[in-house]
Parts: sequence; structure tokens; C-alpha cells
Amino acid sequence: MSAVLSIARAQVAVTLRERITLFWFLVFPLFVLALMTLVFSNVGEDGGDMTFEITLVNLDRPSPGGADFSSGIAEALRHLGEPREGGEDPLFALHVPGEDVEPHAYLDEELAALRVGRRAAVVVIPQGFSENAARAAFASGETVSSKLSVHTSGGRTSSDLAASILDQVFATVDREILTRLGLFDAGRSVVLARREIGTQGREFRYVDFLLPGVVLMGFLTAGLFSVPGTILFGREQKILRTYWVTPLDVPRYFAGFALGHVALCALQFACVVLLGRFAFGARVDLLQPVPLLYLVLAAATSLAIGFLIAAVARTGNAGMAIANIVNMPMMFLGGLFFPIGELSPALRAAMLANPVTYLADGLRASTGAEAGVLPPVATVAVPLAWIALCVGVAAFRLRLDEKR
Amino acid sequence: MEETALRVTNLRKSYGEVHAVDGVSFAVPVGRVFTLLGPNGAGKTTTLEILEGIRDADEGEIEVFGQRVRRIDRATKERMGVLLQEGNFEPHLRVKEVLRLFSSFFRSPRSLSDVLREVSLEEKENAFVKTLSGGQRQRLALGVALINNPDLVFLDEPTTGLDPQARRNIWSLVTGLTESGKTVILTTHYMEEAEALSNAVCIMDHGRIIAEGSPRDLAAQLGRETLIEFVAPPGKEPSPESLGPSCKAVRRDGDLVVVETEDLVATMARLLDWSGTAESALAGMTVRQPNLEDVFLSMTGRRLRE
Repeated sequence: MSAVLSIARAQVAVTLRERITLFWFLVFPLFVLALMTLVFSNVGEDGGDMTFEITLVNLDRPSPGGADFSSGIAEALRHLGEPREGGEDPLFALHVPGEDVEPHAYLDEELAALRVGRRAAVVVIPQGFSENAARAAFASGETVSSKLSVHTSGGRTSSDLAASILDQVFATVDREILTRLGLFDAGRSVVLARREIGTQGREFRYVDFLLPGVVLMGFLTAGLFSVPGTILFGREQKILRTYWVTPLDVPRYFAGFALGHVALCALQFACVVLLGRFAFGARVDLLQPVPLLYLVLAAATSLAIGFLIAAVARTGNAGMAIANIVNMPMMFLGGLFFPIGELSPALRAAMLANPVTYLADGLRASTGAEAGVLPPVATVAVPLAWIALCVGVAAFRLRLDEKR
Repeated sequence: MEETALRVTNLRKSYGEVHAVDGVSFAVPVGRVFTLLGPNGAGKTTTLEILEGIRDADEGEIEVFGQRVRRIDRATKERMGVLLQEGNFEPHLRVKEVLRLFSSFFRSPRSLSDVLREVSLEEKENAFVKTLSGGQRQRLALGVALINNPDLVFLDEPTTGLDPQARRNIWSLVTGLTESGKTVILTTHYMEEAEALSNAVCIMDHGRIIAEGSPRDLAAQLGRETLIEFVAPPGKEPSPESLGPSCKAVRRDGDLVVVETEDLVATMARLLDWSGTAESALAGMTVRQPNLEDVFLSMTGRRLRE
């Protein structure tokens, strides 16, 4: 067996035999997946105290004395934005543009907010809606099309639920329009144009959002803790120096190390996906070429960051401390568990500097679990830049033995 | 003419103002056990680590089996086996897994079963490293050093910290190596180990070689004196004059009184007379020939293990 394969095999064996490493490598990701799915998967599904963030952009300007259906729709939505009987929270938190705000620019901002999960739906009443609706209602045929648009994000439970409620609201408005015009007929309706952002026509749940995040979390944890731990403690305990008196060279050692890391990540990935699929019914499909490439990129990025920590830390304990310090911000500012919402400029800058943000966005977008917010090129280029930076620093600073 | 396995010329290595190795030169013929002997900090391990390829020398030339090498390269390492003074194996690997791992680093490794048999670890092949005793770990380290059937074997303090039985086991393994024609470079601060195993000894102190030769030749450099040792309280020792002209010196080493003599019978008779007169019991009296410890002591005024 070649040295590279032997080192990889030894690394896998050691990791799986050491209880603490095994816990963090395998048990912890499964635990996080199970815990967060159980706790958060039902949020909003009963409509209980959930308040949906809805945006209404009314571009319709009815002519004086003409039909004004847009005001009725706006009024209906506003009504749903008021507290319910019994003091319960309102069903909708309605966002509308201020009078001095340019509505198209506002619409762009709100659609962006929808993409990152800060809005459940964006309703657009287009210019000339009332006029067209009145004209269409008198037209022959059973179904008349209007241009009312509801933008939803197909990958989110909250968005799907909001869309469902909006459908009911608009069906009521529809009946009201036809009734006012004296044209109500069970066979007639005004069909609303629903535009989904994200996967079309597939039912996704929180676990589908969470699963790629937990996979990435596992990779990140392995890279941040296992890689510097193996190198730094191996150096301190004089394990690595036994290699350097043999013909084994550093490139082959690292090749074996990287192969072992990828193999462990693959094992971890398999366990998380199996649990997600069979225990929690996840439907997100990560076993496609593009998501798999993102996963390889994620494993390589975590490996490189691990090398960077090993290069800058003097001791194994220092390495673990650094890993602890960077682990949490990287995970929670990378959108692994929840969509990144509104952030302060400083946190937003940290989020945009975080390679995990790009990996998570790219991975979810590639599976269709979530609409990508970031440019696809950036989701590959930024992690690659991080790999180059980390490997570059490690090449100069990483010591594999005492002073030589 | 004897083939030279290893030739070192004017080797130097400094750390700041400290000269860890200060112009060391020696040559080792094929099939011999060559020992670097000296106290802790003498420069033995640094010298060995340069020769093993772990450290780079500041100056000096190294020739391995007639080939001059600037650094110990991969081809040279294929012919070398190394047991490090400070080296460990992954505690969660099994004995045979460690050997398999290291065998993959070499082009022509030996069979694992041969190595396990040679270091008497067949019954422990499935044991985890963390469960091995100190002696078993050293035997595993020796097995790793021999996995490639090396021509040149470096053993850096292979018996430090081992119990007498484990030490004897390692000695017999080293003896077996030379019987199979291998060249062994050994470091130790155990004088008896150097005497038992070595064809040639190089005594180092403060990074320099202070004496070199076979253990017998080195001891002979002290002359033909015999040493008589006994325990006596301070102030209760004979003067050299009282023991006659064959007595060369009387010195004290803690509670131990050491008498150096050229004529054992004559000096012993005088010593017994003195014992009766001085009412000293000559407790724990032994008679012996000078050894490497005495050589080191005579050259540095210190003991090897001080």
C-alpha cells in the first residue's frame, strides 16, 4: 500500500477510535441535526402565534371615478396586519413603502429580503391593475387573467404558508370584485400570478434547509479542530518526527492527511444525510454533481483553515483555543442554521468575509433548497481564495517538528 | 581495507551562543557498533539527529557508505533505520498497524511477521500502542527501525528508562544486528551499556569528542592501575604514603574511598594493616579494573550521570 493511502487509513482509524474526536466528528453533527430539526421544524406550520413578514407594493393608480380594486386588496392585507382577537399576534406584519420612497427600488430591496428569508412573501399590485381587472371581468371565458403578483420563496415553510394564506385572501377579494360587478359565478375567478423564487413546485421543510448546513458544520468542525489537533499534538508528542527519519516526505504526508480528512468528511456526510433522510424525511438531494463539488470544496476549505490554525498556533492547546474562537462566528455568520437576516454593517462585513457564507449559499442553491443570494461565481471563488491564503501562510509558517 | 559505513568530518551545530556540536569527526567501519557516550547535554543526540536527517548541520561533511551527502536524502534514508530518543507512535494504532504504516514509507520493506518475530512482539501484534509497557514500546520502536532491513541503524538511548530485564532484551537485539552485518550507531549515558555492546566508543562532552577508541583501549589509557573501593566516613581514609609506593592515588567520591594501585597484593596488605590500626572496617570493599566511567571522570572531573 502506498504511503499516502497508509497515512489516510491510519488517520481514519485513529479518529474513529478516539472517543472525544469521534464525538465531535460524528455524534455532534447528528445531535445538532436531530435537535434543531425537532425544535424548529414545526415553527409556523400551525399558524398559531406565527407572524408572517409580508410586503405590499401597490403600483396601481386608479383613475378618479374608475374601479379601485387595489385599495380593497391593500385594505384586506392591512386588516390581517392588525392584532387578532384574544390578543394574539397579527397574522401578517405588513411592510409598505413610505410616501417618499421610490416604489420600484423598494420592490427590489424587498425581493432581496425575500431571498434571504427576511420576508415570507412580496405582493405586487401592478400599475393599471384595477382597470385591467374590471375589463377582464367582463371578458368572455371562464378564467380571466390579471397581473397581481405574489412572490414567494419555494424553499421555505414560512413562505409556503404565507402564500397559502394569501391565496385564500385573494380568492376572497376575487369574489368581492366579481360580486361588486354583479358577475359572481362559481366558475369564474381572477387568477393571481404566483412567482416563486427558488425551487418550483417542490415541498421543502426546515430540515431541507438545515441538512446542508449541518453537513458544512461537520466539515468545518473537523477542519478547525481535528486538523490542527492532529498536527500540533502530533508534533508535541513527537509522533510526527518518527516520520521524518524515514523516506516519507512532507508532500506525501500532507496528501495522505488530506485524503484521510476527505474520507472522514465523506463518512460524516453519509451519516448526516442518512439520518436526515430516514429519521426526519429530508428531501434535499446532495448526491448530485454540483452539490458534491461544493462539498469537496467545503472539505478542502476546512482542511486549509485547519492548516492555517496549525501554522499560527504554537501548541496544541493554543490551536484548540483558536479553533474555539473562530468556530462559532464562522458557523453562525455563515447562515448554516438560519437564514442570515438583517445584520449590522460590521456583522455583515464579517458575514461577507466568511467562506462558510459562500459555501452554504452555493450548496443550497445547487440543490434547489434555497434561492442563492450571492453570485454563483463568488460561492466558488471566495472559498478558493481562502484555500490559497491559508495554504500560502501554512507553507511558510507550519512547523512539523522542533527547530531544525 | 575496511569499508566505512559512516564518516563524519568537522560537524558543527550551534543555537545562538551554544555550540551543541563543535567540530565532531569520526568514522565507523561496516558491521560495528559505534557508541557516542556522554552525559546529558554532551551533544550526542544533536549529532545523531543531524545524521538521521532531522536537523541540518551548520558545517561539516557526512559520508554514508562512501557517498558524500549534503543532507540526508531519501535514498540514504532507504538504507537507514532510526530509533529516536524522543519518538512516539499513535497510541490508538495497533502494533501491526504501526509497522504496516512505516513499511509503506520504504521501497523494499520486510514482512511484518519477520519483524514482529525479531522484536518478540508476535503476541502483541493486535495490541494498541497505548497498552504496551515501556520495554514493549522500545521493541516496537526497534521493529520500526528495522522494517526496511537497514544497513545502518541509529539507536538513540534505546534503553533509557527501562528496567534491567527490558534493557537486557534490547542489548541482545543489538548484538543480533551486528551478527547480521549491520552497522549500529548508538548513544547512551550508561557506561555498562557502551562497554557491553560497543566495538568503538566516542566520549563526548560539551559538543566535542574528548576520547575515542575501544572500551578496553580507553580504560587502558588510565594506566595499569587496579581500583580498590570501600565505604568510609569522611576523614577516615588512608594517605597514599601509608599504603606504600605501589599506591598511585587515594581519592574520595562521596562515601566511597577509591585507591588506585599498580600492585594489588602489596597495596591490599598495607590497606589491611591500616584498617586494623585505624579501626576502619573497609565496608563494602570491591576490587575492579578501570572502566569508561573512570575515563570520563579522569578527563572531566565529573561523572557521566551528574
